[in-house]
Parts: sequence; C-alpha cells; structure tokens
Amino acid sequence: MTANESLRRVAARPARGEGGLRKRRGALVSAAAWTLPVAFILVPLLLFTVQSFFQVEGTDIVYRLTLKNYVRFFTDPTFYDTFGWSCLLALGVAVLTVLLGYPVAYLLASLGGRTKYVVAFIFVIPLLMSYIIKIYAIRSILGGNGFLNRILLQLGLIDEPWTFLVFNLNAVLLTLTVLLVPFAILPIFVALEKIPRNLLEASADLGASAWQTFRTIVLPLSLQGVVIGASCAFVLALGDFVTPQMVGGVSGFTFGRIIYSQFGTAFNWPFGAALSVILLLVVLLALVSAARFARPRFTA
Amino acid sequence: MIRLSWPGRVAIWLVAAFVLLLLYGPLCVAIFFSFFRFKSNQVQWDSFSLDAYAKLMENQGIIDALGNTLVVGASAVIASLVLGTLFALYYHNSRGRGREWLQVIIFMPFLMPPILTGLSLLIFFRQIDFDRSLVTVVIGHTVFVLALVYRNILARLQTLSATLIEASLDLGANRWQTFRFIVLPNLATAVLSAAILAFALSFDETLITLLVTGTKSTLPLRLWAMMRLGFTPDINALVTLILAGTTCLCLIAARYLTVPQAR
Repeated sequence: MTANESLRRVAARPARGEGGLRKRRGALVSAAAWTLPVAFILVPLLLFTVQSFFQVEGTDIVYRLTLKNYVRFFTDPTFYDTFGWSCLLALGVAVLTVLLGYPVAYLLASLGGRTKYVVAFIFVIPLLMSYIIKIYAIRSILGGNGFLNRILLQLGLIDEPWTFLVFNLNAVLLTLTVLLVPFAILPIFVALEKIPRNLLEASADLGASAWQTFRTIVLPLSLQGVVIGASCAFVLALGDFVTPQMVGGVSGFTFGRIIYSQFGTAFNWPFGAALSVILLLVVLLALVSAARFARPRFTA
Repeated sequence: MIRLSWPGRVAIWLVAAFVLLLLYGPLCVAIFFSFFRFKSNQVQWDSFSLDAYAKLMENQGIIDALGNTLVVGASAVIASLVLGTLFALYYHNSRGRGREWLQVIIFMPFLMPPILTGLSLLIFFRQIDFDRSLVTVVIGHTVFVLALVYRNILARLQTLSATLIEASLDLGANRWQTFRFIVLPNLATAVLSAAILAFALSFDETLITLLVTGTKSTLPLRLWAMMRLGFTPDINALVTLILAGTTCLCLIAARYLTVPQAR
C-alpha cells in the first residue's frame, strides 16, 4: 500500500455511527450503476437467447421451449454450409487485413516523432467515414459498368468488362477488407510501438541480420497486435449483412444476411435468434481466445 | 525499428500507398463525380457543375433524414457522455470485482458485431411492447458508443493525480465542489474528444439503426435506400458534403485527443 493510498483510506474512514449509512449509500450507488447496463445490454442478450428456444407457428411466436431451431440449423445444409463459408470468408478478410495492415503499421512505427501519429491518424480516419458510402463507392468502381472497367476498356487493356469483381463472394471479400483494414493497422501499430528499441539494438549488436531480428524479436512481440486486429476484422466481417447485400448479389449470401432475413422477409424471429446465438458463440470464442493470447507475457 | 534494406523500404512504402489508395480512392471517385459527368466511357471535363448540390437541397426526404440523424446523434452523445462519466467515476472510486464485470457489460455492445446488439435490442423492445421510433435508435446508439466514451473518460481520470482531489477536500470543498471545480475541468478535453468521436460513430451507424428504427430513417438508411436505385450525381453530392463534415469533425477531435508521448 502506498502512502498515498493509506492516506486516502484514513480520510475516507467514516466517523463513528456513520458506517451503516455510508455502506448503504455505497450499495445504493452500486445498484444505480448496474441498473442501466443490465437493463439495456444484459437483459436484451438474455431475451434473445431465450427466444431462440421458441418457435413460430403461422405468424405467431409460440412460447414453448424447444430445440427445433438448433436442430434445423444442424440438419439443413443451406444453413450450416453458408455458416461455414461465411466463417471462411471472415477468416480470409482477417488474413488480408493483417497482410495489408502489418506493413503499414510497421512503416508508421518507423516514422519519427509526431509525424507517426499524424500519419496513423490518416490511415485510421476512414473508420469514421461513412460506411455505407464506401460500400457504394467501391461497388461503383468494381461493377461491370463501373469505373474500373470503363477505364480499362478505354485504355484497351480488356475487350469485355470484368464481371468477376462484383455481385459474388470475391466482391464481399474485397469490400470488407477495404472497410476493415484500419482495424488491423491500429493494434499492430500499438504493439510495435511498445517494443523497446534497445532490444533491437542488442540483437543487432549480437550479430543478427535485419531479417533474424525481425523473425525472432519484432514479429513475436507484435503478434498480440496481429491477433487483436485479426479478431476484430473477423468478428465484424462475420456479422456484417449490409456489405454482402450491397455487393454480394445472389451468390454472396452470407450468414449475416440469413440472420437478417429471418427478421425481415422470412419473419421467423426465434430461428433468427437461434442463428444469432450461434454467431454469438463463435464471436465469443474468437474474442476470448484473442484476449487470452493478447495478455502480455513480456513486459518492457 | 530495424533499418530495412532499400528493396524492403520500397516494398513497404508501396503497400502503404496501395492501402491509402484503397481507403481513399473510393471516396475520391464519389467526390469527383459529384462535379463531373461520365458519358460514353469518358469523363466529360467540361461538365463541371453544382447542379447535383442544388438538386439535393430540394430533396425533402434527405433533409428530413439529415434532421433525424442530427437529433439522434446529439441525444446519443449527451446520454453517453452523462452515463460514461458516471460509470468512469464509479469504476475509479470503487473496489472489488464487481466493477470489472460492469466494465465487461459496458464493452459488450462495442465488441460484438452490430447485428447482435441490434437484434437483442429489437427483441427486447418488442417484448416490453416499446414501439420502434427515433427513441429506440437513440438507445441503440447510446449503448453502442458508451464503451468508447467511458474508456476515453476513464483513461483521463486515471491520469488525474489523487493529491489534487485530496488538496481540494482538505481545503474544505465538499465532494460536489471538488467534482465541479477540480475533476470536471481536468476531464474537459477528454469529454470533448469523446463527444466528437461518439457523434461521428452515431452519424455513420447503419447496422444497429437498420434493426431498431421505426418508420423514420437516418441519413445512412436514406442513402442505402437511394443507392438501390443506382448511381446518381446527387448521391455523390450528398456523399461529398457528408465527407466534408466528417473530416472537419475528425480534425477537431484529433486536436484534443491525447497523444501518448513518443519514447
């Protein structure tokens, strides 16, 4: 206990007789603090978990517990196949964002002084710039009738417009990667920043080549940033339903879209809730393993 | 960082330039075509005009949507600032494991994919028979941005020296006075940057909004609806205006964000 802390404890010690009152006030404050988060975050999450065990008959939700929704998911290939594909797609997005994000983060970390924060800001700011606008712009670039094709046609590089870039899973992969790259850059940059520079000097002094230093020191120490970035990208890519709808066309039917359609056109909330629970489990798995991995094992 | 050989350095700059192109290219294309036309595979360089902007001003649907977005953003910012500050103070002044759990709950909507946050709220509102409207959108946005605001304010609170507060209490100020005259002024810039970030996030929020909104639409939803019809100059004009607004906000936020000291 530091002197400071003990002082504070003494100062905070209640006068005799006030103890009970103060304790009660403490409990009251705690209760007040918990009310809103529980009501608007925890309860809704529990509600949808409960809802996933109900089912729909006609247009009404029947409030009788059943496992039918889960059975349906695990027996109908439409659903588990799409789920598998979507997980692979999200993994692909995670890998691509890291592959693109790592060099950028490395470059940022090697810049000096204030410049690095300014440049980092330039790379991260698009996160705050309209998500829907970017999807739209990307679609207008990649489309069969889009900007890229028109330019290529004009230059005579191709004879027919490329159509493999839009309204399929490729397009979803590309678009999500563009949207989510900043999520990879930021944590990798932070991890690289934390590496003590004297480690690199020591390594060089001991005769390691630049590549050896990178392999054995920089990469392992920045891996937690990579894991955090990749899991962020994975989670967001898996849950997205607007991007696939905008650029995915008919073949780009992802898990997020299936869930969303249960609450719209298909109107089967309990089934949609069951699918969401499955999504939630995968997401929790990704986040928990990332948190495990990202716990610092080495401190400067 | 390690000094790279020149091919390494060139490669890394090329990747960075490519990423920059990916990030800003689409936005630039949209801005460009808010001023120029594209006809028979060629940019019409002489077609510069502001017609698209003028047309935008006549579009009542868009103006309404913009109004909704601003109202929602302002309400969500105020709610999340008040709550975020209270939660940060609570976390800072209490002990035990309880506060860690509370923190986990607050962070959940920010870490989960928005579709889960949106759906859980959608089901919740339906179960308690609360009609979907802009109010539910505000709740959704507040739940979403709260973690960010809370984190920002807590980080500043933790750098605040305890001696300042002790001095204030010693000099006879009560707890409220200490909060009002010592803690709050020290939090001001953190609160401001949190407010701007929260507003920017709320302004752009699409997925949660889509799920919890009633009949009224915010700007991103309106844009989404318009885009299904195709690529028109007035969308590009709107996009340009929004981007100009967001950029200004971000620059202001950057001014007040605390930059960690370089080693």
